[in-house]
Amino acid sequence: MTIHALRIGGLSKRFGDTYALRQLTLDVRPCEVVGLVGENGAGKSTLLKVIAGVLAPDAGTIILRGTALRRRKHRGAADAGIGMMWQEPALVPGISVAENIFLGREGPAVRFGVYRWRNLNARAARLLIELGVTKSPAALTESLTFSEQQLIAFAKAIAVEGRAGEAPIVLLDEPTSALDERGVTAVLRTIDELRSRASIVFASHRLEEVLRVCDRIYVLKDGECVAECDARRCTVEALQALMLGETVGREFDRVAAPSTAAPTVCLEVRQLQRRDQYVDIDFALHHGEVLGIAGAADSGCAELCRTLFGIDGADGGTMMLDGRAVVLRTPSDAVAQGIGYVPAERASEGIVGSMSVMANMTLAHLGQLCGRFGIDSRRERGVAQRWIERLRIKTPAATTPACELSGGNQQKVVLAKWLAGKRIRVLILDHPFRGLDDHTRRDIVTSLRELTAGGMAVVLIADTLDQLLATSDSVIVMRHGRISARYSMAEDRPAPQAILEMMS
Amino acid sequence: MGATDPRAQLPYDDSLDGRRHRERDGLAGRLASLAVLIALVLAISTVEPSFLSVYSLRVLAEESSVILLLATGQTIVVLMGGIDLSTAALTSLVSVIIALLLPQYGVAAVAGALGVAVLIGALQGAVHASAQVPSFMVTLAGFGLWSGIALAIANTTVPVVERYEAVGWLAAQDSVVPHAFVFALGVLIVFQIALARLRFGRYLHAIGLSERVALLSGVRVSRVKTLAFAASGLCAGLAGVAMVARTSSGSPTIADSLLLPSIAAVLIGGTAITGGHGSLARTLLGVGIIAVMRVGVAVAGFPPAYEPIVYGIVVVIAVAVTVDRRVSGSVK
Repeated sequence: MTIHALRIGGLSKRFGDTYALRQLTLDVRPCEVVGLVGENGAGKSTLLKVIAGVLAPDAGTIILRGTALRRRKHRGAADAGIGMMWQEPALVPGISVAENIFLGREGPAVRFGVYRWRNLNARAARLLIELGVTKSPAALTESLTFSEQQLIAFAKAIAVEGRAGEAPIVLLDEPTSALDERGVTAVLRTIDELRSRASIVFASHRLEEVLRVCDRIYVLKDGECVAECDARRCTVEALQALMLGETVGREFDRVAAPSTAAPTVCLEVRQLQRRDQYVDIDFALHHGEVLGIAGAADSGCAELCRTLFGIDGADGGTMMLDGRAVVLRTPSDAVAQGIGYVPAERASEGIVGSMSVMANMTLAHLGQLCGRFGIDSRRERGVAQRWIERLRIKTPAATTPACELSGGNQQKVVLAKWLAGKRIRVLILDHPFRGLDDHTRRDIVTSLRELTAGGMAVVLIADTLDQLLATSDSVIVMRHGRISARYSMAEDRPAPQAILEMMS
Repeated sequence: MGATDPRAQLPYDDSLDGRRHRERDGLAGRLASLAVLIALVLAISTVEPSFLSVYSLRVLAEESSVILLLATGQTIVVLMGGIDLSTAALTSLVSVIIALLLPQYGVAAVAGALGVAVLIGALQGAVHASAQVPSFMVTLAGFGLWSGIALAIANTTVPVVERYEAVGWLAAQDSVVPHAFVFALGVLIVFQIALARLRFGRYLHAIGLSERVALLSGVRVSRVKTLAFAASGLCAGLAGVAMVARTSSGSPTIADSLLLPSIAAVLIGGTAITGGHGSLARTLLGVGIIAVMRVGVAVAGFPPAYEPIVYGIVVVIAVAVTVDRRVSGSVK
């Protein structure tokens, strides 16, 4: 019998009254790629954190290469040859790419406490080439785009290789969720190459990718392992059925929601430009319309959205809201005009983790809840309760700290922060479905459609083209900072391939 | 925040930390401060039974009223994730202004000096917010500036004789509880109610916990910061009034020794230096602990010069216990 690379038995982890993991048992064989799928809050991230030693389990055993692990520190995990890539890249911004990749495990690149740059950079360069990152290993990490940083985080996770002497174990939490097609291909190819010398755990919502790259797949639901399947004999539909415990067809993404667009213009943008990011941006967003923006990571679409919310000002051009020119110097100007923004980076920009679900929801519109004696707490509670029910947010109470909720439910809280406002006119969504399961995504889209029917307009950057096409009434495609194509869903629904062509 | 990229934060588990915060913010945390206070009182009264006499408690309350005022303003700034090192210097400046102008202008001099304090506080907040200079830097510069100005306009102690009654009521000896203490407590309660009821309080916490999220939620961060430092300036000014009342004089160094204990009081009460967690109620407990500690130093037979040593140690311990370790670069 071969020794398992990793065996986990009866693992439990509880947060408050809810079990994040419940009596979980799974094993990873040497040189095997194991997939981990499940809805948001199913326990994937928690499981990986427990294995990596960031969280201590309440019960259960973790046996690494035949040796039981005791409660230990994260560094110990790295020393034991466990590499981990987090959902959000955890990199130090002010140091070079190469330093980040080997941070804390420089090996031969450090002699007597002194860096040997040539060695470090050469090793990093090899990894970068493998991943198709064109930046120099000596480049400053903060100068990289988000998706490049994600690839660096991936490189860092697989760099544990060669440290422990034994075959490493690489834990990947949604490694591809922030990447464009090229990045995804590079990551999947690298996983394929690693297969011969490492064990990999791959947690993802992208079931096609899981099926393509994994040998075996564990399906988690509510912290329990509900199924184990052979990837060669499994389909996306079957996995979805197992995850949800019911059948939700993929047709959700194929059928567009009925348009709610009105003929009147809500937000009009003319000749908008910002140096080095985008130029000549013209579009008209109608009341009730969902305008999807498609573009690769360097297309300037995320930057455009930040300008529309007053975060980074434009260098030129005009914005008209309901026929009146507006100048947005700060996000508070945008909020005052009835514009809301759901940022791509939820943890650092969307949610105040230690504040309650309720306080997060009302943060943007507290003024509307103020009576003669300050904040009307009864009205505030009412608003929170209404939106918890309306968006079906899973939380023990409105007063629970937001960080205790799962990622998908946190995202709903960010959304509620804007929807709860009385005068929301334009909602800008930057990757609102990142890391969310189909179920949550459908909840969110349904609620959005209810509000667009009332006249709210939406600007959307989605994770996948399927999602974009299913949710938008019209689409603009951006390439290198310019609009390269426009489509109206009602007239000529484009094929995803056509959009891809206009993106690159 | 500022220069640090939030992405660079360690991927600690949010859920776990959230729970820890709630416990610390909850009853247990407050009880810990209360327990320290009670233990200190018991210990001292065992050694020195007269400590619990009405007379000595009265002196204690009178002496801690100025620290209470300073700590109230400090709490507001610390909740926001900043720190105000200029408070004591501002108190001295206000005492000098009042002492010099009181004979001529009476109550108007007091009002004017308070106005100056508020404006100076607001100025510091505005510079901190708009120029993105860390608050400890701005207020450290302010500390030098305001004490320098105070020294420049009055080289030494300025006695107040004429029209002392404009502030004298604060030091009147006609009640069991000193007027100055009641006044300081009143100020704290007013601010506590304001923080709980007004938007300002919620924004203060949000900025302390995550300035970036507050900004992206449309909170006018610069305005809130300016207001918070203005509030701290007001408290420092009120402390100056109380100082003049107690000593019947103004002096450019009158409050110098009060900066450290007032910050220590905020932190030992359990308000986190990293912002977001804490309250004025905790600061009240903290001021109690600091005041009793002062007595403790005397009872133990040490000269008053040893007090700063105690405060210094207390500050470090309090920060170590309450610091929010997820936030890199602790004070903004």
